[in-house]
Amino acid sequence: MAVIEEGLVDPRAVRDASLRTESRDAMLDRVRVIAQGPLAHDAERIDRQGHYPRDILAALGEAGALGAHLDGNGTDFVGAIRAMTEAGRVCGSTAFMMWCHQVCGLYMEQSGNPALTGARLDAHARGATMGGTGMSNPMKTFARIESMLLRARAVPGGYRVSGTLPWVSHIAKNHCLGAVAAVVDATGKVVDDQHEVMFILDCDAAGVELKHCPTFSAMEGTSTWSVRLTDVLIDADHVVADPVRPFIGRIRGAFVLLQTGMGLGVAQGSIDSMWQVEEQLGHVNAFLDDRPFALQAELDDLTARIETLAATPFASGNDYLIDVLDVRAHASELALRAAQSALLHHGARGYLMSAAPQRRVRESHFVAIVTPAIKHLRKEMARLMTPQTPAFDLPAFDLPG
Amino acid sequence: MSAVLAAVLEDERPWRQFICRACGYVYDEKEGDPDGGLAPGTRYEDIPDDWACPLCGVSKQDFDPYAGPSSGPVSARAVSQVPSVSRARKGVVIVGGGHAGWSVARALRAKDPDVPITLIAGDAADVYPKPALSLAFGHGKSANDLIASFGADVADDLSVRLVPHAFAIAIDAARRRIRTTRGAFDYDALVLAMGARPIEAKTMPADLCWRINALDTWTKLHAVLARGPARVAVIGAGLVGCELADDLAHAGHAVTVLDPGARPLAAWASAQESQRLLDGWNRLGVRFMPSSAIASVQRRSIGARAVTVLHCDDGTFVDADVVIAAIGLSIDARLARSAGLLVDSGIAVDATTLATSVPAIYAAGDCVSIDGRPCRFIEPIARQAQAIAAAILEQPFEATTFKAPLVRLKTRSAPMTLTGRP
Repeated sequence: MAVIEEGLVDPRAVRDASLRTESRDAMLDRVRVIAQGPLAHDAERIDRQGHYPRDILAALGEAGALGAHLDGNGTDFVGAIRAMTEAGRVCGSTAFMMWCHQVCGLYMEQSGNPALTGARLDAHARGATMGGTGMSNPMKTFARIESMLLRARAVPGGYRVSGTLPWVSHIAKNHCLGAVAAVVDATGKVVDDQHEVMFILDCDAAGVELKHCPTFSAMEGTSTWSVRLTDVLIDADHVVADPVRPFIGRIRGAFVLLQTGMGLGVAQGSIDSMWQVEEQLGHVNAFLDDRPFALQAELDDLTARIETLAATPFASGNDYLIDVLDVRAHASELALRAAQSALLHHGARGYLMSAAPQRRVRESHFVAIVTPAIKHLRKEMARLMTPQTPAFDLPAFDLPG
Repeated sequence: MSAVLAAVLEDERPWRQFICRACGYVYDEKEGDPDGGLAPGTRYEDIPDDWACPLCGVSKQDFDPYAGPSSGPVSARAVSQVPSVSRARKGVVIVGGGHAGWSVARALRAKDPDVPITLIAGDAADVYPKPALSLAFGHGKSANDLIASFGADVADDLSVRLVPHAFAIAIDAARRRIRTTRGAFDYDALVLAMGARPIEAKTMPADLCWRINALDTWTKLHAVLARGPARVAVIGAGLVGCELADDLAHAGHAVTVLDPGARPLAAWASAQESQRLLDGWNRLGVRFMPSSAIASVQRRSIGARAVTVLHCDDGTFVDADVVIAAIGLSIDARLARSAGLLVDSGIAVDATTLATSVPAIYAAGDCVSIDGRPCRFIEPIARQAQAIAAAILEQPFEATTFKAPLVRLKTRSAPMTLTGRP
């Protein structure tokens, strides 16, 4: 390797990269065994009966799929996204829960809070403990689409938080989740509309209730609950960020980028299923719009674009963020098209309630509407593309003399 | 031969699969259908006639021998290479609703009444003369006075599908598709005419410094300055900075121009011409501060008033109500790079055909570079539009050599004509 001998490349960096590729490949091999085996076996049960695959998620954690992206494990976002894709090919619900789990770990690690890192984070990354994310409402609040649902009142030793999050996934009585509350004064009023606190909420803490939420058309096995908080004490050991906005600004690209694994997985699973009927039905399927080879080429190009962005998940700047939002939107659009086309490729057999193609249609709808939905992504890209100007609604000048 | 031995020998035949012609269910002899009463190992011919497909309920007569998809995508790919269903003509997609974008739309429509044209614009694509933005304050004009025609009306006239308030985000050159904030659009040919944008500098934050390059931001600044005479600081004494400073002084504002150089228009005009401008400014009350590099711009409250303070490298500072940064233009290269276009000081194009480095993509107007240099003048745009329309429609076009256009500096204090560079 001439470049190494000439000192152009740090040999340690080359070694680290090849070690990482080896460990990533080994991790992905383990994930494939789980995905093609027990997960494939349970996929219908997860979808139809609302079975929550805790054992499979724990196995994915042991395989290294839930912590690959953490700095402690080499910040391998490419590996984390590929693992999610492998699961998503088989079961979109499981891919979604992997994302929930991964971003919860991201909050914990990036908090820098000693109580949330160390042993607690290790257990989370291994899948020994579970945790989800209640960030849909705050993310939409920051994008000026919703207003904050949780309120935090400062008290000695921390905050008392109240309010209800309508649906939070991948949680249970002994799980945790990341959440954000607007800081209010003693009378319950928001004093500073830029001041929030982000925290890890333990679902078994005093004042936390998990309530059933209505049935969705898919994703029933994701253990999704309405979370009601009544004066829940959030102490310093649970605080992720205070104030929140600089923290969100730092992790936003990583948060959105990780999610692309869901869309890639549902799209790839759809394409896989098209090939299954090609021998038999190719002669009529040739008349359809989105054929598997064309979709695969587009998916491969999109994957390459995502993996380039995943090499620098904490990059700053509008250009990077716009690209991240766009690949997330593209993954949704491609999942929708691929799932739709797979159903058309299969015909009636894909329309049976037990068939994977119709399940993927419902899963692709979820990919497209879960925060950030396609419409939110486009609105946010438009905002970032609009030239910023000074305020133009100020009172008249008060010129001296 | 005993019946038992015969059965064993028979079992040595490989297991076969049969596919339901109605629903695609695959019956595997090895697996059987235990739920339907068929033990594993039940041969097809041993399936009773009253057995029904577990998925759709048809009988065993509706099953065909099945070889399985084991041959996989590779051989299936050959099956799939049936020519695809013919697609509708996608036509031309133009990005940018300014002078260059509309010029290309007009040139295309003049040559071909049928070619589908889609124009994607970040604003309403209203038509207005951009140079007038440098004269409008002094002449007391409003945004409505400047708009010659509304984008929607021009689109109707030209049979153009206008997609207003949409930003182009990424180009998928392999599939000839452009992704925008209002969805994706397929194209046969793509024309990038999205212009250039004012350079942003960290020392001149966008929430404190105006950057005037389009009617929408000009309109907002107009609303601010309509409240009464203001102290205006203009950073940069190039063409745009000098014209705006002159215009705002004529409109009654107290203007200060700051530039790191020794004289205004140093890159464009001779020392004598610069002096003529300074003399004019002197009579008009425009203050020029040479050798003034900006270190920071900050908002400060003085009593109840908010003032913007410009700090220079040498420690001097200027208080202002309004700050305008006019330190030059650059292009938003992100979109061009998404398509793999060659980009230097602009999108690199062929001087004759305005073709970029990627097939079926052209560029015109302020966003292009020719021989490594930007070309940001009004005059060449009409010719560029003709060349692009001819190339897209595969019609002959007589190329003319590019001449450096004359630039009229619209400073009323000291009008002058300069030679533009391509």
